[in-house]
Amino acid sequence: MSLHQVLFRTQPMGCFLHISRGISLSATLAKNRKSGVPKITPFRTKPLTYEEAIPPSRMNVRKGWLSFNTSNLHEEKRAGETTFEDFLVRRFLTGTWHGSLASEVVIKRRHNMLVLSFLVSMERILPRQVYFLQGYTERMLSGWFKMPVKIELQTVASQKDMIFKKI
Amino acid sequence: MATFNLYRAFRFSLNVSKSKTKDIELKSCRSLHMSSFLRNAENGDVVNATEETSAEAEEFRVFEIEGLKKAVSARRAERATKRAPPPRYRSMPTDQDWTDVWPTASTFKWSAVPFPVRQGFVENSSENEGVIPSKYANLELMKGPNFLHLTPAHVKKHCKAIKHLSTKWPEGLETDEQCHKHFPLESITSDYVFAGPSLEDDRARLASIKFKLSDLELDYHAKDKFIRLVGDRYNADTDEVLFESNRCPLKSQNLEYVKFLLTAVYFESWKTETWEQGKQLSDMETYVWDMNKSRETCLTLLATMRAKDKGSESVGDLKLSGAEARAICDLAEVREYKTAVENLFNDGENSETLDAYKAAVERLLQLKTAA
Repeated sequence: MSLHQVLFRTQPMGCFLHISRGISLSATLAKNRKSGVPKITPFRTKPLTYEEAIPPSRMNVRKGWLSFNTSNLHEEKRAGETTFEDFLVRRFLTGTWHGSLASEVVIKRRHNMLVLSFLVSMERILPRQVYFLQGYTERMLSGWFKMPVKIELQTVASQKDMIFKKI
Repeated sequence: MATFNLYRAFRFSLNVSKSKTKDIELKSCRSLHMSSFLRNAENGDVVNATEETSAEAEEFRVFEIEGLKKAVSARRAERATKRAPPPRYRSMPTDQDWTDVWPTASTFKWSAVPFPVRQGFVENSSENEGVIPSKYANLELMKGPNFLHLTPAHVKKHCKAIKHLSTKWPEGLETDEQCHKHFPLESITSDYVFAGPSLEDDRARLASIKFKLSDLELDYHAKDKFIRLVGDRYNADTDEVLFESNRCPLKSQNLEYVKFLLTAVYFESWKTETWEQGKQLSDMETYVWDMNKSRETCLTLLATMRAKDKGSESVGDLKLSGAEARAICDLAEVREYKTAVENLFNDGENSETLDAYKAAVERLLQLKTAA
């Protein structure tokens, strides 16, 4: 058996031995990894709302904030509590208005009142269901947060009305 | 028809035998077929005859070829889609009262706002067909606060509603000076408004009072002692004293406490303790000419000059009595010199004090005759 044949037979094992993992010390150029920027589909079929279409880098230039409160001002308190409550509100509304929430939830705090504004798509929901869910949401959140919660929602006929661009 | 009835009768008899029920009439059968069976069941021979042909009359399923028959599926009637009524702004009269439409602060509502408004940014024609998003389904307009509840009509209405609560501005307090004269004590407290379920804020308990020191009745000693007692609470530039406290849990308690402080410091400053008699030159708050070496030097110099003028030879050990010294001090040029020196030390060196000092020295030493 020649040496060539031996090498040929042991090639799989040889390949295995050649795998090595080094340590890269250079900084990673993550130029294609962006938060909040959706990826483009091959045929540009993915619909985006205005909120989704504007990247976070344009925040407060082309689109406004989704939370309005005093906690993040200088020397003000309750920043952590407010953030957590906002998170909870968004989670709760996503589940409660499942499939009908056409937009993000805008959370405004005026004194001890919590005002939630969002758009509801009327495709899969009846007006009386909207009224019920509105009261239900207000009641549940008021009980949890110990502050009056007011919902100022608006309806859109279809989710398609929210499309700003397609990527 | 007859065979059919026979067949049904046979099936029913089987059921009856299975359930072991003899009384057929108890089966309250109301169908046409059942009644026909009962009719047949009265003569038992028919039933017996059917038993013989049971094997041939067995039911078998018909094989249905898929797609041969047209399938008719009963579709549920579609729910009539209710169209939303047209937005409210289309039916608004032009002379309506806007305060009724938008009474309080509220999120922007496209259907109730009668003017066209757009918000958003469109980069190119691929976005929203190149048009800035309109007010319908526009979340951007719902984000920011609006002032649709604070139009001039609203403000007028508010003012009209609360007018009966307001009183006339008191006479004699038109200017700030008048206010300060009648109310020299200024108390400063703060309330904090923030977004949260509670109204409490521990910063709100801070209370302070501010007043001018000149508004208090104090003599020279009392004023000096007052300033020494309050320390850096006294601002010499504005002549104001500021007492503040947040040591008590409530704002009202803190306010009471700072008022107590003022009272205590005021009466304390009027007292003269025995140890205050031993006030040395280094304890003086300002330059006092009468206590300083300058006075002695000046008086000695003047006395020597006078003695020289009189032709006296022995002026080396000149001793002035108290009366003589006081007489010299009462002289106009000495008083002027005293003031000039005190100003020079207390107010600092500047062109005015230096010029005054120069003039005083010239007059004191008679260097320059009045031209």
